[in-house]
Amino acid sequence: MNTSENDARRSLQEIEDIAVRTRRMAAFAGVDLILIVWGIVWFLGYLGTEIIPRLALSLNPKLGPAIGWLIQGWWAILIIAGIAATLMVSRRNTPVESSIGKRIGWLWFALFGYMYVFGFLIMPFVAVQGHEESMRFWKHMGAIMATVPMFAYVVIGIWLDSFLVWVGLGVTVLTMLGLYLLLPWFWIYMAFVGGGALIGTGLVVRRKWRSQ
Amino acid sequence: MSELDPIIHQPLRLRILSALTTLRHDERMDFVWLRDLLGATDGNLGAHLQKLEEAGYLNVEKTFVNRKPKTLISASDKGRAAFRAHVNALREIIDAAPKEDEG
Repeated sequence: MNTSENDARRSLQEIEDIAVRTRRMAAFAGVDLILIVWGIVWFLGYLGTEIIPRLALSLNPKLGPAIGWLIQGWWAILIIAGIAATLMVSRRNTPVESSIGKRIGWLWFALFGYMYVFGFLIMPFVAVQGHEESMRFWKHMGAIMATVPMFAYVVIGIWLDSFLVWVGLGVTVLTMLGLYLLLPWFWIYMAFVGGGALIGTGLVVRRKWRSQ
Repeated sequence: MSELDPIIHQPLRLRILSALTTLRHDERMDFVWLRDLLGATDGNLGAHLQKLEEAGYLNVEKTFVNRKPKTLISASDKGRAAFRAHVNALREIIDAAPKEDEG
């Protein structure tokens, strides 16, 4: 079989190109849509956290203690919708069947479980006094809850591709900036900056990788 | 000296094995995604997969998911070894070629 040096170089280059595209496809099929879905969940969730108490109190000033449950319910609905959408996207975008996919699924399951169990366990011990202190406490809790899934992005990024490490670290830094510098507007900030960062990253991934 | 494998040497079959050997041993690729990745047609890809399967280079598993047929493909150990040998042969061709600065 006669193959010239140039043909051999071309073949090796092609092998390398296909390998890179395969790795990328296996790691990121559907990630663009999943980022957009969770960006929308964050946007609506944090926006609701800001708006629901105002709306509820204007309708019924005696609602006070029930507002926390309203917000929890709002987040629960959004998270369940987000998980359902993620499962649907993942089902339709599974180019490669592998054990790591299952591992990632269990990681998310464990994290959401951790966040909810943690939230319910600390509730009886929360001893904040008055509206102001309560608002500050929940904003700190909100920041912690936002960084937990971002921690998962970092872990999954270490397993798959450094791109997700940067998304996780970037959104964590933005969350901390909002917490330290813009506490009075933290929920609105997280809706637009946190949710917006996830949606924006999803759109960039979608545009960039579809054009390749 | 390694030799080029005539089965793998065909361009689409080389690309098929490039993709499949990139995956880990426990991973299998869906036919539709492989077709889109390689920019091949159903018929063309199917024919070349059959050649590779007959050579024992691939494992092909046909299943049904939600009543829809699904074909999962992976490189066999024999296929991985043959692909490695083919790549080595390509590298040897490049190494054996006279360098430009050697005049």
